Amino acid sequence: MRAFLDMGGYWPYVWPAYAVTLAVMALNIIWARRLLERSRKEALRRLAIGGTEK
Amino acid sequence: MPDSGAVTSPLRPAFSTAGDAAGAAVSAVGAARLVLARDLKLAFRKRSQLVQPLAFFAIVTTLFPLGVSPELPRLRPMAAGVLWAAALLASLLALELLFRDDAQDGTLEQYALSGRSLTWLLAAKTAAHWLLTGLPLALMAPLAGIALGAPGAAVPGIVVSVAVGTVALSLIGSIGAALTLGVRRSGALLSLLTLPLDIPVLIFGARATELAISGEAYGVPLQLLAALAVLGLTLAPLAAAAAVRINLE
Amino acid sequence: MAWTWFHRLASPPHVYRVARRLTPWLAWPAAVLIIAGLIGGLVLAPPDYQQGDGYRIIYVHAPSAWMSLLVYATMAVAAGIGLIWRMKVAHAVAAASAPIGASFTFAALVTGSLWGAPMWGTYWQWDPRLTSELILLFLYLGYMGLRSAFDDLQRADRVSAVLAVVGVVNVPIIHYSVVWWNSLHQPPSLMYLGKPTMPPSMFVPLLVMLVGFTLFYGALLLVRLRGEVLSRERAASWVREAVRP
Repeated sequence: MRAFLDMGGYWPYVWPAYAVTLAVMALNIIWARRLLERSRKEALRRLAIGGTEK
Repeated sequence: MPDSGAVTSPLRPAFSTAGDAAGAAVSAVGAARLVLARDLKLAFRKRSQLVQPLAFFAIVTTLFPLGVSPELPRLRPMAAGVLWAAALLASLLALELLFRDDAQDGTLEQYALSGRSLTWLLAAKTAAHWLLTGLPLALMAPLAGIALGAPGAAVPGIVVSVAVGTVALSLIGSIGAALTLGVRRSGALLSLLTLPLDIPVLIFGARATELAISGEAYGVPLQLLAALAVLGLTLAPLAAAAAVRINLE
Repeated sequence: MAWTWFHRLASPPHVYRVARRLTPWLAWPAAVLIIAGLIGGLVLAPPDYQQGDGYRIIYVHAPSAWMSLLVYATMAVAAGIGLIWRMKVAHAVAAASAPIGASFTFAALVTGSLWGAPMWGTYWQWDPRLTSELILLFLYLGYMGLRSAFDDLQRADRVSAVLAVVGVVNVPIIHYSVVWWNSLHQPPSLMYLGKPTMPPSMFVPLLVMLVGFTLFYGALLLVRLRGEVLSRERAASWVREAVRP
């Protein structure tokens, strides 16, 4: 296990690299869901105000 | 402004002649020539504005010896890069003016509605821009080069490489200027859009200039640079016209 | 026929519904593949002869770099389609893709820098790949900056579409010029392990990660696409149905 974490001495490079990538992936998920939620709320608001067009 | 009226009104009769297909094709070039002449005439009325990019170029070039070292042997290796960085920035400065005045007084809209090819008209405006900024920069560049340690024999090479390169820069820049037509205080955004696209021009141009300065043959990068300019010539006015139309909608 | 398929793809309510249903079909396989790739790359693959365990960064760097390019290409194609055929959905795809691509370009830069650091002795080298990725990041930022400069969504869509198309034409030119520039000077040796010389035990997890990341992009795109499509529809009646909690 310790050898695994040590990554042959390269641990200060390997683990931050994986951490950054996984962080970017997590951020994207959060971001995407937030965008969808915001758009839904905005759409509901517009419906409440304006009724239907089109 | 009373001045611009005297220059723009001759365009009205020219633009309003409705011709047949062949006539229309001829007048696309003819209209382009008129636009080119107009832009040059207008620019010469504000001569102080013409000098500004050149002064900027001189100042930026001066910063490097001040920041690094006054010793010419140390400056010569980086002379080409400094020249080109300064030329890029100076050309960017001048870009904002490419379409701004015409967009504001409605001339651009007239061009778009005129039935003449907007692509050709914008190409003409870009040509005027190069004649007013790129070409003077190319003629000034050898002075800066010598100030940075380049030998006198390098002068023709410097002029040619910067001249060809600035053609490409004006064309690429016209796209950015067209895209940011309606954006207020577009300076930083214009730079962000244009500079990445300028990078190939910088790479080939600086290489050509560098070889010229060290007295070697610079044909290969110069040809690549020329290829970029030709590519820009065929594609950039099209893209700029599309962007202008969208922004005028 | 073929056209009805294309026309349905242009219909926002249809796309919204399909996106909603399709998302889990991309998201779950993506998760499985990425986890499998992580295990394969970190545990199962053998250490490299030259770089020891340090090369394992490739399992996150290469997929990130792949994503940065794939997303840009998708963005540009979608923008072009939106421009030519005036399809709101296509513009929505482009708008949705940009932040995804930019963030993975950033990841590619950071992981690339970390990968090279022990080999180079510095955290940055003007390596042609890294330099190209950096320029790509600027292209993304320019696109996103241009978008945000317009209040009118439709104009933002169309103007940024022109930029995306111009950009994608430039990407190969930029890459070629950067490679050419780099070859003029003696660069530090490139860090990439050539694919043909990679044994399957190393190569398979890489492939798995590449596919996993691609599916991940697909799932993210579908979620963001729904949001983007919604903001492009005024108060159309289908929206009322779709957003009901």
